[in-house]
Amino acid sequence: MSDDGGLWLLAAGPIGATALYWALYRYYRNTDKSHAFERETTVEAKPVTGSDTLIDTVTGTRETRISGDNVHDYRARVRRDG
Amino acid sequence: MSDPKTPPPLPAAPVTGPGSPRDVPPLPVQFPIDPATLPGAIRDELEAPDPVALDTASPELRDGLNRCPKCGATDIRHKLGSDVLVCQYCRHEWQGERVEEAFGLGEGLDRLRGTVIASGARDIDAGAASLMSFKCTGCGAEVTINTESAMTARCHWCRHVFGVNEQIANGAVPDAVLPFHIGKEDAVARIRQFVDKRRLFALKAFKEQFTPENVVGVYLPYMIVDGNASAAVSGKGEIKTREYTRGSGNNRKTYYDADVYQVDRRVDFTVDDLPLESSAERGNLDTRVNTNNIINTILPFDTKNALKWNASYLLGYTSEKRDLDVERMRPRLEDQLLSIARAQVAGSVRRYDRGVRWEREQLEVHGTRWVSMYLPVWLYSYHQPGRNGGLLHYIAVNGRTGETMGSVPVQQWKLLLAALTTGTIIESLVLWFLVVAS
Repeated sequence: MSDDGGLWLLAAGPIGATALYWALYRYYRNTDKSHAFERETTVEAKPVTGSDTLIDTVTGTRETRISGDNVHDYRARVRRDG
Repeated sequence: MSDPKTPPPLPAAPVTGPGSPRDVPPLPVQFPIDPATLPGAIRDELEAPDPVALDTASPELRDGLNRCPKCGATDIRHKLGSDVLVCQYCRHEWQGERVEEAFGLGEGLDRLRGTVIASGARDIDAGAASLMSFKCTGCGAEVTINTESAMTARCHWCRHVFGVNEQIANGAVPDAVLPFHIGKEDAVARIRQFVDKRRLFALKAFKEQFTPENVVGVYLPYMIVDGNASAAVSGKGEIKTREYTRGSGNNRKTYYDADVYQVDRRVDFTVDDLPLESSAERGNLDTRVNTNNIINTILPFDTKNALKWNASYLLGYTSEKRDLDVERMRPRLEDQLLSIARAQVAGSVRRYDRGVRWEREQLEVHGTRWVSMYLPVWLYSYHQPGRNGGLLHYIAVNGRTGETMGSVPVQQWKLLLAALTTGTIIESLVLWFLVVAS
């Protein structure tokens, strides 16, 4: 075990405490709940169409995801064109 | 359809981000921490069973009248657990008419064009009074009904029962009503079960004053919207092409190479029976000042079984009045349609294993159909004193399916103590580990 590799472990206590606090708070207060209309409404969709064009390559990044990944944040609105 | 000259503003949504109703709600029965790792008392609460939500289907329905069709008496009650009305005078029973078939609401969604507004969903006339008076046909006395909170009344003199059935322009009379199927005792049991799972850290005063028998049955106003729309989204997606590590020992780091794609997607879809709160107050889901998101969560209802309006269904229950017009609700509809479109296209971008960043979106609403309905909710409330008038906590039971959701006020010091204790234990384990390892 190196000095550098071990010190970040010290954050485990505060992180664990915060995680438990928020998990229990939400379990009691349910502030994160709402009607899941995305999956609870009857939606009939025609097949999705579209295009994919290679425009660039990234090399040597340390990020595991694209920056600003919002593919699952259905309710986060982005710029509206019409 | 959206007017290109004046783009509708998004509804006031002061609370956003993690932990707010703007989050896509988690799948049912999901707790972020594995309960098996938590102390016994907390684990028992988490793993106790939830109230079961019933799947309800109503039998075929036929004719509906406000007077008893057999004897003409007005003393009519709703038979709980069914959609049947019973005449208290001659015991005649009959069923209301389903709006789904009567107005053809389930058909032709893909051919929907323009804005179709049912007569009960018309714009509210600001001058229309919410107090309505009737001349009793039995004895001639004046009877007043306050449509803000009730839709039926009884003549004090001759016991004649009145119901507001005429579609006046004050927003009180909807197109359809969904009668209660869940009885009061059932609702009380569900609320008790819900709270029993949340006692350990609940506010002491809440536990002391907990009397679920005080639950009230209330008909809340909703707009049930069918829509036909097209949406287009565009953004960037990344696919990982290489993963490698550089350096050695402590400087060992992982790097990635990726291809970046311009991603465009388009989807045409129809939405059937999307429920939207048609009361401005109930539609405000700001979790800092109210707990209306609780009532929002017990949606949806089996609105396919809604019956043609008949005030007799509301006898013995309170009601809230609609105060929003179709145009004022359109921004919220468009917001939800865009969310649905984003959920629909999510499946087509799975190959982007480094995710997609949507940058632009477009929505074209071809047609919408708006039907106003009263939907049945059992509401238990607890007022927690505090700053700015405190906070009203709701526990709500869906009057049809039995789905239960609630907000239980927490005893902050207890919760903090539990979190700090857990944090201290973890921290001591870490310190012990570091000391042993070095």
